[in-house]
Amino acid sequence: MDFRIPVTILTGFLGAGKTTLLNRILTEQHGLRIAVIENEFGEIGIDHELVINTEEELFEMNNGCICCTVRGDLIRILGNLMKRKNRFDRILVETTGLADPGPVVQTFLADDELQAKLKVDAVVTVVDAKHVLLHLDDSDEAKEQVAFADVILLNKCDLAPSDELDALEKRLRGINVMARIHRTTDAQIELSKVLEIGGFNLDHALEIDPQFLEEEDEHRHHHHDDEITSVGIERDGHCDGQRLHNWLSELLRTKGQDIFRMKGVFAVKGNPDRVVFQGVHMILNAAPGGPWNGRPPKSSLVFIGRSLDREALSEGFESCLVPGNAGS
Amino acid sequence: MGFKKKWARETSDHILSLAWSENALIVTPSTGTFLLVDQDGETTAEFAAHGLGNGAADARAGLLATCGFDGQVRTYAIDDSKFVSARAITLGKGWIDRVRWSPNGEHLASALGKTLFVFNGSGEVVGTYSNHKTSVTDFAWNPQDPLEIASVCGGGAQMWRVGETEPFARFDWGGASLLALWSPDGRWLATGDQTPSVHLYDFTRDYPLHIQGFETKVRAIDFSPDGKRLATGGGTTVTIWNCAGKTGPESTIPDQLTFHKGDVEAIAWSPTGTLLATADRAGRLVLSNAQGRPVAAFEDAEGISALAWSPDGKCLAVGDAGGRVVLFSD
Repeated sequence: MDFRIPVTILTGFLGAGKTTLLNRILTEQHGLRIAVIENEFGEIGIDHELVINTEEELFEMNNGCICCTVRGDLIRILGNLMKRKNRFDRILVETTGLADPGPVVQTFLADDELQAKLKVDAVVTVVDAKHVLLHLDDSDEAKEQVAFADVILLNKCDLAPSDELDALEKRLRGINVMARIHRTTDAQIELSKVLEIGGFNLDHALEIDPQFLEEEDEHRHHHHDDEITSVGIERDGHCDGQRLHNWLSELLRTKGQDIFRMKGVFAVKGNPDRVVFQGVHMILNAAPGGPWNGRPPKSSLVFIGRSLDREALSEGFESCLVPGNAGS
Repeated sequence: MGFKKKWARETSDHILSLAWSENALIVTPSTGTFLLVDQDGETTAEFAAHGLGNGAADARAGLLATCGFDGQVRTYAIDDSKFVSARAITLGKGWIDRVRWSPNGEHLASALGKTLFVFNGSGEVVGTYSNHKTSVTDFAWNPQDPLEIASVCGGGAQMWRVGETEPFARFDWGGASLLALWSPDGRWLATGDQTPSVHLYDFTRDYPLHIQGFETKVRAIDFSPDGKRLATGGGTTVTIWNCAGKTGPESTIPDQLTFHKGDVEAIAWSPTGTLLATADRAGRLVLSNAQGRPVAAFEDAEGISALAWSPDGKCLAVGDAGGRVVLFSD
């Protein structure tokens, strides 16, 4: 049993509707005790006994490398909040509109004290259907917030016609193929769709539609090489565990700066169960992924990042496969 | 070596800090009231909690100070373990997690956000030091000069003199320091860092040292009373550095104590320097002698979070994550 407390990371540009969502989460009768860590420069301060204000403070662990940067303020505040018997059911961390979500996610993976007590349930990104295209064209942070998301709320849908929304959803999907996208107005959504994502949801990961590979390639032709995109790879058969680990470690070590997130479910030779790897920039975590339940073993992995080289990634992964077992 | 459990008692929550005021122990649980407990384990006074959670408490002869999430520092005068009077100082909105009396008890320091505050005995602010890159994570008075205080944050340490507005020394090392300690002889400033590492600054040579290779961030450090040995946590190993020589721990081989199962959470030298108490997250407490050999051990059901020797060295108070305080006495 995993007794760690789930953490939801809420990102989104100024005016997208984060505060509206936060207010809903704090006032709805869900019976959960939720502590909210709100950035000091939020749109409208929320007056609530469980809202704790903080100022984003980046701790550079290694010469300013963004992959090794964590949020010092979160380590202190959450470290203290975890030292109480009357624990919270959930923690919600709001980031400033202009923040790169990387350091927030890395904080929960890199700090041993927090990692022992908390787990990231999901990165939820609220985008404004009317203005997000402008932001996506102008701002790296907006793209990174979409790239890091497990859930995207396409909010203020009442302000945009449905063909625009379709185009927008396609654009968001081009950046991040993994995220679930929900269309909302006034951030009205069942809270279970933002609060109970279950971290790296295996079933969702296995739902990845191989079709997106082609769609994504088509999408790439219209954009520059430094565009943030998703690359998905799916292969039947088993990988060699050691080779896979070496390849992923080396890849994140050398290209981690540009790889925002990596998620994969693997069939590893000698292991009857699924093996899950997930990475954030240079941090790689492995975990058992439970039985295959009669499904044919295969490996699916997705990279979300900047200037991803699909061919090199596919070749790299091919080299981890155990020869002669494709399709077996 | 006759340390025996004298009493154990429950409090409201995880013990954040323990500090002695002469013969009484001030206990900081993470939520609920602060307790003043005498040497028999009886509560002699209680002090109000700080909103959503408490920070810490510190004691000097006849004086207590507490702080917490409500942005307040409160001071209490006590006499013979009994409450006499109180004063509250509001520093602002936000969480205050540390408060420390100067060595002579004349000043009190605390920090909110990026500002370090120093107050006099009347609760008036006599110094505000704001020149920090990030929130002040810790601060330490110079045991040899009651008007000197060092503050640390993400980015290094600054040394301040009460009455002056600019720091008289500054050590920029870029890393993120979590705690600071000034050696009792005044020679060294040591920090435990997130990175995970320890920084040491030698005031006699104006010379910095950086010690790396710890398993985890360094959550506990303590100097021996003569300042010649520094014990550090940072994982399950306790490392003892020789700070006596001209160049301190540089190029020396430290002693390593490998008695712990969990990450070391608290380290405290006895006032005479003859015993070193170390405690871990898995609940093990070990007393080692000057040769680094274990002489006593205790297993707690919960992780140990705080240690404090009584000023006479005859009692060791131990606090745990479940809110239990145990007193061992000689």
